[in-house]
Amino acid sequence: MSGAAELTALLVKAADGDQVSFRELYDRTSAKLFGIIARILVERGEAEDVLQEVYVTVWRKAAEFDPARASPITWLATIARNRAIDRFRARAVRPSSPLDEAAEVRDEAPSADVLIDAGRDAVRVQTALAELDPRHAAVIRSAYFDGLTYEALSMREGVPVGTLKSWVRRGLIRMKAGLT
Amino acid sequence: MSDDRAMIAGEPHDDFSVDEALAMDAALGALGREELRAAERRMRSDPAFRTLVENWQATLAPLADDIAPLAPPPAVWDAIMADIAPAPVLRTAAAARPSLWNSLALWRGLALAGGAAAAVALLPLAGPAPAVAPMLVATLAATDGTALVAAAYDPARGAVVLAPAGHRDDPGKSAELWAIEGTAPPRSLGVIEVDHANAHLLTKARLAGLKPGVTLAISIEPLGGSPTGLPTGPVVATGTLKAV
Repeated sequence: MSGAAELTALLVKAADGDQVSFRELYDRTSAKLFGIIARILVERGEAEDVLQEVYVTVWRKAAEFDPARASPITWLATIARNRAIDRFRARAVRPSSPLDEAAEVRDEAPSADVLIDAGRDAVRVQTALAELDPRHAAVIRSAYFDGLTYEALSMREGVPVGTLKSWVRRGLIRMKAGLT
Repeated sequence: MSDDRAMIAGEPHDDFSVDEALAMDAALGALGREELRAAERRMRSDPAFRTLVENWQATLAPLADDIAPLAPPPAVWDAIMADIAPAPVLRTAAAARPSLWNSLALWRGLALAGGAAAAVALLPLAGPAPAVAPMLVATLAATDGTALVAAAYDPARGAVVLAPAGHRDDPGKSAELWAIEGTAPPRSLGVIEVDHANAHLLTKARLAGLKPGVTLAISIEPLGGSPTGLPTGPVVATGTLKAV
């Protein structure tokens, strides 16, 4: 899509120190990244801190972005997810995380109207996920969207960690096979 | 190769390698903090493993389309700029010609006369040019004389510093700075902030050609700046560069 080419051009200019392009990159991508981060961290102030860290990292590492290896939005979203998950893991163990949050099992399957707004690739991935055992699909979604660990998910589901890992990994392999 | 097949966590018959399993775990992020950091370190030293992880990251990435976007508050951008702005200043400070920052008082006075809030630094990528040339200043004002921005350009350092002097609020729009040299079409110097402290880095090419007599102008453009490369919206302030 042409959006990827435009974001790539902005990243290349940002790598060159062009703050105007960096601002445009921020304007076009920050809401998506903030959504990803806030979903994992929930607490808004913490999510804002991580968003700031993410864009400072992007500014400093823009030259490392390689369009041959990843799309720009995947590169940005991966930095955001990794930072949010790292912050989530670094939290002192406290009653609200992650067990209690995990206990409140949400229906992670997207609603039809969300899917209409999502890109074609998202529909393909969700369709492939929907082919899996619903519990397997649900733990994959919880791991991806909420940043939960295998440990937390195994407790939520009441199965051994090894079983949980196998659900996720075999589920992902099947999901990927279903994409092609 | 069956040794490589996973005896992972008591699941002996999965049809993928240990590395593939770890790549999935890392891309999904479902591991503990130390395990994730170890995986990141391995990505840096093991290109094949890095490719595996990146492939899974790409496979999973479309899931993020299902997360509703959330607009961050403006303070986040300000904090980002505060973090990244000092770097180029330090870089040029190594050249140690005390001109621009020592001259701040001069044009800050201009700006304060109009009720200025904060200074905005526009710093170029390239290091200072060797030639010593006079600093240029301009006060950009509306047709009724109300000052909007005070600008100073130091050719020796290739830096432009802007200080908002007035206040404008144009929601959903961007203010864009232009240089008008003689009869040539206006040349964009980039989107600027005129309502709060901000910093922009200008490329050397954009700074080239600024000299006494050149007119600076600010127009109000669609968000992100003029789509055509020429001003499309109202010009809200102009001023002429003068040597000091």
